[in-house]
This record gives sequence, structure tokens and C-alpha cells, in this order.
Amino acid sequence: MLIEQLLNGLTLGAIYALVALGYTMVYGILLMINFAHSEIFMVGAFVGCGAAAFSGVLPQPLVIALICGSAMIACGALAVLIEKLAYMPLRRAPRLAPLISAIGVSIVLQNIVFLWRDDFLAFPALFPPVRIDLGLLQISLIQLIILVTSLALMGGLWIFVNKTRVGQALRACSQDREAAELMGIPVNRMISITFFIGAVLGAAAGILYSLYYGSIKYNMGFMPGMKAFTAAVLGGIGNIPGAMVGGVILGVSEALGAAFLPEAEWKDVFAFGILIFVLIVRPSGLLGERTAEKV
Amino acid sequence: MKRLFTLTAAAAMLIFSTGCKKGPQKIKIAIALPLTGDIASFGQGLKRSVEMAVEEANASGRLSTLVEVAAFDDRSDPKEAVSVANRIVADRDFVAVIGHFNSGCSIPSSRVYAQAHLPMISPASSNPELTQQQLSPQWTWPRNIFRVNTTDNVQGAFGADFVFKELKSKRVAVIHDKTAYGQGVAEEFKKQFEANGGEIAAFEGLQVGDRDFRALLTRVKGVNPQALYFGGMFSEGGILVRQLRDTGFKGSFVACEANYDPSFLRTAGSAAEGAYVTFLGSPPELLASARDFVERYKKRYPTSELKSYDHYGYETISILMEALENVGPNRAKIIDYLRTIKFSGVLGTTQFDEKGDTLNKTITLFKVVNGQFKPYDKK
Repeated sequence: MLIEQLLNGLTLGAIYALVALGYTMVYGILLMINFAHSEIFMVGAFVGCGAAAFSGVLPQPLVIALICGSAMIACGALAVLIEKLAYMPLRRAPRLAPLISAIGVSIVLQNIVFLWRDDFLAFPALFPPVRIDLGLLQISLIQLIILVTSLALMGGLWIFVNKTRVGQALRACSQDREAAELMGIPVNRMISITFFIGAVLGAAAGILYSLYYGSIKYNMGFMPGMKAFTAAVLGGIGNIPGAMVGGVILGVSEALGAAFLPEAEWKDVFAFGILIFVLIVRPSGLLGERTAEKV
Repeated sequence: MKRLFTLTAAAAMLIFSTGCKKGPQKIKIAIALPLTGDIASFGQGLKRSVEMAVEEANASGRLSTLVEVAAFDDRSDPKEAVSVANRIVADRDFVAVIGHFNSGCSIPSSRVYAQAHLPMISPASSNPELTQQQLSPQWTWPRNIFRVNTTDNVQGAFGADFVFKELKSKRVAVIHDKTAYGQGVAEEFKKQFEANGGEIAAFEGLQVGDRDFRALLTRVKGVNPQALYFGGMFSEGGILVRQLRDTGFKGSFVACEANYDPSFLRTAGSAAEGAYVTFLGSPPELLASARDFVERYKKRYPTSELKSYDHYGYETISILMEALENVGPNRAKIIDYLRTIKFSGVLGTTQFDEKGDTLNKTITLFKVVNGQFKPYDKK
């Protein structure tokens, strides 16, 4: 039972981590919390659900590719558009202004979807609900897919950020935006790329989440968004491995909290208790940099 | 000068608006339902059926004055419900209120209505406490609360007997959603199941709005129950049964009536197969008396799904209009009239006992077969 609970937590944590990456990457480069990110997650799920209408018409692998592809591209484009419309004009404004703008975008997106569909929509089951027996533990196919996909995406992101020239430029921007600009790095394009990648990961998380829970709704992004934001802070906001670690820790502590506390409903108290404890001991998060304010 | 102009304009408007009131008098009825939020579809369905009944009555000229309905949204939130109730009683023109949907909303707001001596008829709240509270000596107001649906002590006991005697499960886990409704029906189930000699292996709550119950379910599965009973609504129930099957649980799943909704089937997918759901009274498809209503509803709202409580909404407003026809728009007289009414409508015959509960205590049992609710006959 302990292993099963750990798996439940890891699956949830992997999804949180994917969403947390979007928060942390944007924060790393712009020092703002993009609260509209949870709506990107939701839009990803809805676009994926729309693309799933081709299910049965096209062969299954093609449908899956279409669902992921369309959701990722649509969300990436949407995030870049949001950045251009709602954040770029505020680049030199006080730090609270883009934050409020982000909350506004989040409300607008949620209400657009609400006006279209105010009830639960079923997300088609693309994978059969089978359980795989690995001797010691049983894992459901969908959990396995979520774990493998998110590991692959995170691995891909790590390679992209650390091993490519664009990744190097991104890191330069997050270290010091002005210096990077002086070195000839097109900072605005880098910011767009950051939003795009964050949204692609968010869309992927939205689809995995919908596959896991089987239904989607206009307000589905709120709770996972909150949790992912928490995970990013827990790991040290602005730090990419930190977001991954934070997501997994949050998911696992939630699952273990539900499993072993006298009442399952205390799980959030337990998970957020851990957050408070970590932040008291390490105010900059688990893997956050120790340097104070950047000058 | 400008200010003077505004003042005159405002004064003129005031005169005009009071002047307008002198026109044809309308009888005003308030409906208070969850029109947004997780279970908005139930509230919207009820609203449609109430509005349809009012349109029909106004068109037929059955009442000497026109009836007007004002809808209020409680978002299925008890706090919002009380604030809605306060807004409703602030208007002395309302002769009655239809609502609320959730027991957790109906119970606290019923006291607000009682203090204003405003008749209240709930189309769906099933926690026994709602009407029971009127018998307490502290209840110094008129007994203004009625409901057209039967209650959870009937439903919970029905479920418990079914699980114990028909499914022959002696060891059961119970999960509820911690609301007045969900926990209420779960406790009624527990009481009857233990009275039958069964064992409740786990009794756990979940959080409304939560989407992940796997940890809870893995834990519940650990106590090896033969069946699981859920007290709560489809917004959680559909996901719950889906994740329950994911954990590999093979026992039966039994849920209460707020899961009798197409959304339950949609969110649960294939995991809904074989689930049992009890329903208060009978759904419209199974009622000969509702056949005509169903047809008119489909004609009036061709694009809307008929929701499982819509005929209750229609019945509630019909009962109210019958009272209005006989005693006119007077709050106290309506309450007195409802005490003695014997109404036959889409639900069959409705009569209220001294608490305001209907004497019609039918429960229908459904089993999900091939992705649809099918009436299930007990042997």
C-alpha cells in the first residue's frame, strides 16, 4: 500500500512539476508570477479535447499526436500573444502591475471558456484502464504514461536549456537581462521563447491531467495551478530543477498525508505544512539561490 | 446648474418608476438555486422548468394576475445562500420562494425565510433536518418549510437495505462529501446498515471541488470492504468511481440521488458500469404522470437536456400556483393552504405531513448498464 500511495503521489507530482516549470521559467526571466499559466493548462485540456473528436476517424497514434500537437502549439501561441498584449507594455512598470494584469488575463480566459461550456466535458479515454502487475507493485497504464511523458519532457527541457545555444541565451537573460541585451541577445525573442516553452509544458500537463481524471471544466486550472505555483516556490522559484523537485515533493507529501494521517482530508494541511517548514528553514526554497536581491 | 439638472432628472425618474408600479399588478415568486458553480446544470434545469410552468400559466390566464419569477444564484454555497435569502426577504412583494437545491443551503436560509413568514418549498433538498427543525420549541415562527421530494433517512435506509440484503455485502466503506446533504445521507445509510447487523469498515469525508481521491481510495481499499457507498454529488461522484476502479477495487459502488445525472456517466466513463444509484421518487421518464410534461419541456427547450430534478421544479411551482389560485398572494394563507393541499401533478399525488414533507416516499434504484442508467428491479 505504501508503494501504491507513493506512485499516486509521484504521478500527481509529475503533473505539478510540469506546470511549475512554466511558473518558474517566466519568473526566472521576468521576475513576475504569471497567474494566467493555470488557464493555459485549462485551455490545453480543452484544445486537446476538441482534437480528440478525430478519434475513430484517424488511427490512434495519429490522434494522440494530433491532440498533443494542437494543444501545445495553440497554448504556446496563446501564451506568446498574452505576453505581447498584457505583459510587454508593462515591462518597465512597477512589479505589481504585470501581476495584476496576469490575474486579469486569467479571469478573462476562464470566463470565455465558461460562456462556451459551463458543465463538465468528458475527456475521451485514449488508453485502456488496465493495471500493469510488476510483481512488487501494480501501476495503472495511465500513471505509467504520465510518469514517462513528464520525465521525457523534463529531460528534453534540461537538454534544451543546458546544451543548446538558445538555452544558453535564456540562461544569460535570466542571470542579467540588460547585460544579455548588451551582448546582442534578442531579449524580447528570448522572453517569447520562455513563454512558449512554459505553455507547451503546461498544455502537456493539461492533457495528462485530463487523461488521468477523465473530465474537464472551465475552472479546472485553479487548484493544480495553485499547487504548481506552491511547488515552484518550494523548490526555489526561478530554478528549473527546483520546480521539478518541488512538484514531486508536494505530490508525494499530499498522497502520504492522505494515506497516513488519521483523516484523509488533512492532506493539504500536511503538504502546505511542509511548505511552511521549508520556507522557514530555507526562505529561498530548496534549490533556490542564496544570493539576495539581484542588483 | 448641472447638478440641478441631475437632481430634477432623478426626481422625475422616481416619480415615473413609482407611477409604473400602479400598472398591472404581478405576483412575484423568488427562485433560489445554484445557477453557477459545479452543479449549475441542476439549478439551470430547475429554473427552466419553473419558467416554463409560469409561461404556461400566464398564457392560459389561469390566475387573474400575471406571475413573475425572479431568479437568485446561491452557487451551492451556504454563505451565499443566506445572503441571497436576505435579499429575497428584503422585498415584501415576494409571496413565496422556491429553493434551495443543496440541503446545506436550504437549512441556514430557511430560518431567514421563516423570520419573514415567507413560504419556502424546496424542490430537491433531502436532509431530514430541513423540516424537522420546525418541530423544535425554539421555532417560534410559522412552519413555512415544505418540500416535494422525499428525504435522506428514507433514501439512506433504502440503500443500506439494498446493499445488505440484495448485494449481500456485510462489510462496507462509506465516503461522503462533508456537506449537510452528502454526510447526512451517508449517516442515514450507516445507521440502517449497522442496525441490519453490517459492519462499516471506514467512514471518510472528501473535499468538494477536489479532483484526486486516489490516496483516500487506496486507503479505503486497504480495509477490504465488499462495497462502497458514496454520499455526495455527481461533481465528485463521477471522478470518485473512476478512480475507485483505477485502484483495482472490484466491489459494488452505490451512490445517492445527486449522482443520477448524465455528467456522472460522462466523468466516470466506463468505470460507471455496474454502479448503483438511488433516486428520490421517480425520474420523469418512468412517471406516466410526467409524460406530457416531458414532451412540452422538449418542445420548449429543444437544445437542453432534461435534468433529473426538472419535473420537481415544475411540480413545485404548480403546487404554488394552485395555492395562489385558491387563496391569493398572501403568505400566511399560502402556508395554511399547503398544509392541507392534495395535489395531483407530474409526481403523482402530493400531500404534506405536519413537518411539510411529502407523503410520497418512493425511491427508485438504478444500475448503470452500457453507459446508461437502467431501472433495477430488486428480486
